[in-house]
Amino acid sequence: MTTVEPATIKDLEERVAIDRSARYPVLFFFTSASAWLLVATVLGFLSALKLSVPDLGSTIPDPLRIGSFFGYGRMMPAHLMALVYGWAIQAGIGVLLWLMARLSRCQLRYPVLIMVSGHVWNAAVLLGIISVLAGYGRSIPWLDFPAWLWPVLAITYVLMTIWVVPMFRQRRSSSVYISELYLLGAVIWFPWIFFTVNLLIDAGSAPVMGAGTGAWYISNLIYFWMAPISLAVAYYLVPKIVNRHLFSYPLAAIAFWMLAFLAGWSGFARYMGGPFPSWMSAVGGAASIFILLAIVITIVNLHMTFREKIELMKYSPSLRFTMFGMALLGLYALLSAVGSTFGLGKYLQFTYFLTGLDTLAVYGFFSMTMFGAIYFIVPRITGAEWPSGQKISLHFLFGTYGIGTLIACLILAGIAQGGLEQQWDVPMGIVFTSSVGYMTGVCLGWLLVGVGNLCFFWQLALMFFGKGRKSGSGPTLMNVKEEEVARGETAV
Amino acid sequence: MAIMGMAFGLPWLFLIVIPFCRMSVAPLLAYSEKDAVEGGVLTYPDPGSDVVRQGDGEGAKLFAAEGCAYCHTQMIRPTYAGVDRWRKGWSGREADGLARETLPEDYYGEGYALLGYERIGPDLANVGYRITSREEMHRHLSDPKSFNRDSGMPTFRHLYRESPSGDGRLTPTGSAEALVTYLLSRKRDAKIPSADGGGK
Repeated sequence: MTTVEPATIKDLEERVAIDRSARYPVLFFFTSASAWLLVATVLGFLSALKLSVPDLGSTIPDPLRIGSFFGYGRMMPAHLMALVYGWAIQAGIGVLLWLMARLSRCQLRYPVLIMVSGHVWNAAVLLGIISVLAGYGRSIPWLDFPAWLWPVLAITYVLMTIWVVPMFRQRRSSSVYISELYLLGAVIWFPWIFFTVNLLIDAGSAPVMGAGTGAWYISNLIYFWMAPISLAVAYYLVPKIVNRHLFSYPLAAIAFWMLAFLAGWSGFARYMGGPFPSWMSAVGGAASIFILLAIVITIVNLHMTFREKIELMKYSPSLRFTMFGMALLGLYALLSAVGSTFGLGKYLQFTYFLTGLDTLAVYGFFSMTMFGAIYFIVPRITGAEWPSGQKISLHFLFGTYGIGTLIACLILAGIAQGGLEQQWDVPMGIVFTSSVGYMTGVCLGWLLVGVGNLCFFWQLALMFFGKGRKSGSGPTLMNVKEEEVARGETAV
Repeated sequence: MAIMGMAFGLPWLFLIVIPFCRMSVAPLLAYSEKDAVEGGVLTYPDPGSDVVRQGDGEGAKLFAAEGCAYCHTQMIRPTYAGVDRWRKGWSGREADGLARETLPEDYYGEGYALLGYERIGPDLANVGYRITSREEMHRHLSDPKSFNRDSGMPTFRHLYRESPSGDGRLTPTGSAEALVTYLLSRKRDAKIPSADGGGK
C-alpha cells in the first residue's frame, strides 16, 4: 500500500482558499446543527421520561393547559424533527459542501444565498416543532410538520446543496473519488424522496400507500442520505489521516453501486403483514440483507486501509469518531437486516427495537461520523485548533457510553415487549410495564449523551467566536498532555 | 449521474409510483345478493359508513395531532405475521365470523392511514367494538388508569374542563367529543364481497 504524496505549496494555498470560501456557510450549519442537537437531546430525555412516568406532572394545576405540550405523542415527533431536520440534515449539509469543495478543488460559491437559505430552513424547523408541540402535528413519523411547511424545506434544501453539482462537474481530476459519488448521490436522492413522499401524502388518494411511502422515506433517508454522507467522510478522512491510499477502489465502487441499486427497495418491511401486497415488505427485507453485504465490504476496505496504524485511533478525534461511526453503521445494517426478515421481524415490529434502530441510525452512525468530520473541518476553516483535547475525550466517552446505553436499552426493551406481546393472553398493560425499566435506562442514556454534546457545543462555540488555540503546532489530539501540544512536542 | 438516477428510478417507479396510482383508482367492490349485507350497504368500502366518514374528520385530525399513532397502531396482521387475531376484540366481530386482518380498503378516505409507529398500547383498528359507550371512552381519555392500573397512557385532561357545578366532574370540550366519535367509529371488519361481486 503506497503512502500519499506530500502536498505541494500550491496545493496548500489552494486548500486555504477553498476553506476560506466555505468558512461562513459551513460554520453556520455546524453551529446551528449542534444547537438543535441540544434541543433534540432534551426532548429525547423528556419523551423517555414520559414513558417511564406517564403521569408525571398531571396532578399539578394547569389552567393554561401547557401540560399538553409535554405529551409523549407531541414530544416524540418534536424530538425526531429536531434530531433529523435540525441537527442531522444541517450537519450533513455543512460536511457535504466543504467536502465536495475540497475534492473538486473548487471554491464554494454563493455563500450568502446558502446562509440565507439555512436561516429560512432553521425558521421552518422551529415553526414545525412549535406546531407539533402546540397540537398541529400529523402523526407521520419523521414528517410530522404541518403540510404547508414541506415546500419551504424542499426549496431551501435545493438552494443550499445544488451547488455541489457544478462543483463536481468542474473538478480537475479525471477520475472520480468514491466520496464524490456518495455526495452527489445524497444531493440528488434527498429531494427526490422528499418531494415524492410529501406529494403522495398530500394527494391522499391512497391512504395506505401514504403510510408505506412514509416508512420508505425513513429507510431511504437513512440509506440514501445519511449513509452516503457518512461513507463519503470515512472514505476521505481515513486515507488522509493514516496517510495511505484507500485499500481497494474497485471494492469501494462495488459497495457504492450495491447501495445505489438496493436502498430504494427498502422500507416497507416496517409494515410487514400490513395492508400491502406482501411482496413489498419481502423485497425490502431482501434489500436490507444485501445492503448489509455492501456495508461489510466497506468496513473491511476501511479497516484494511488503516491496518497497522490503529494506534492513531488513540490520538486522532476525527479518526476515532469516524471509525466508531462506521462500526455503528455495521451494527445498524446487521440489526436492520435481522429486523426486516420475516422470521424475527414480526416479533420486533412496532416495538422499541425499531425506535432503537432509528436512534442507532441518526444518533449512532450518522452523528458519530459527523462529529469526526466536524473535528477535522472546523480547525481548517477557522485557522485555529480546538482548545481542549480533554473535552474532546469527554465528548467521546459520554457520547459512546450514552449511545451504547440508549441502543442497548431500546433494543432489549423491544425484545421484552415483542416477546410478551406474542403471548396473546398477556394484557398490553403487562407488556408496557415490562419495558418501563428500560425506559429509565433510556433517560440515563440521553443524560450521558447530553453531557457529551454540551462539551462539543462549548468547544464549537469557542471556535465560532475565534477563541480556538493558535499557539503551539499540530492538531489538538486526545490522550496527549495539553502542555505538550502547546509546546509543539507531540510525538504523533 | 444518469445511472444513479436510474438505480433509484426503478424502485421509485415499481415500489411507489405504480402501486400508488393503482391503489388511487381501485374501484369500490359491489356486494352481490349472496353476501346478504344488511342496512342497504352496496359496496365495500362503504363511503356512507361511520368508519369512512370519520376517517378524515375532526376527530381523526385530533388523533393525529395528539400523536396517538406514536403509541397505538391501527393495523391487524394476519395470523402468519402475529397474534393480533387472537387478542380479544382486536380484529372485529369474532362471533359473527367477520373478524379479520385489516386490508387496504379499510383505510378508504383517510388521506394518510394512521397505521402507527409503536404499539405501546392496544391496537385501535376495532376499538369501537371494545369500548362502546361515549361515557366509557371519555373516562378512558381523561383517566386511563381508572380502567387499568398498568396503563402507560397519560391523561388527556387538557381536552376536558372542570364542571361549572364544582363537583369535580369533567366536561368534555368539542375536541374531546370529536375524538370520541372518531374512536367509537373504528370498526374495520366490513364483510369482503364474494368473488362474483363486480367493481363499481
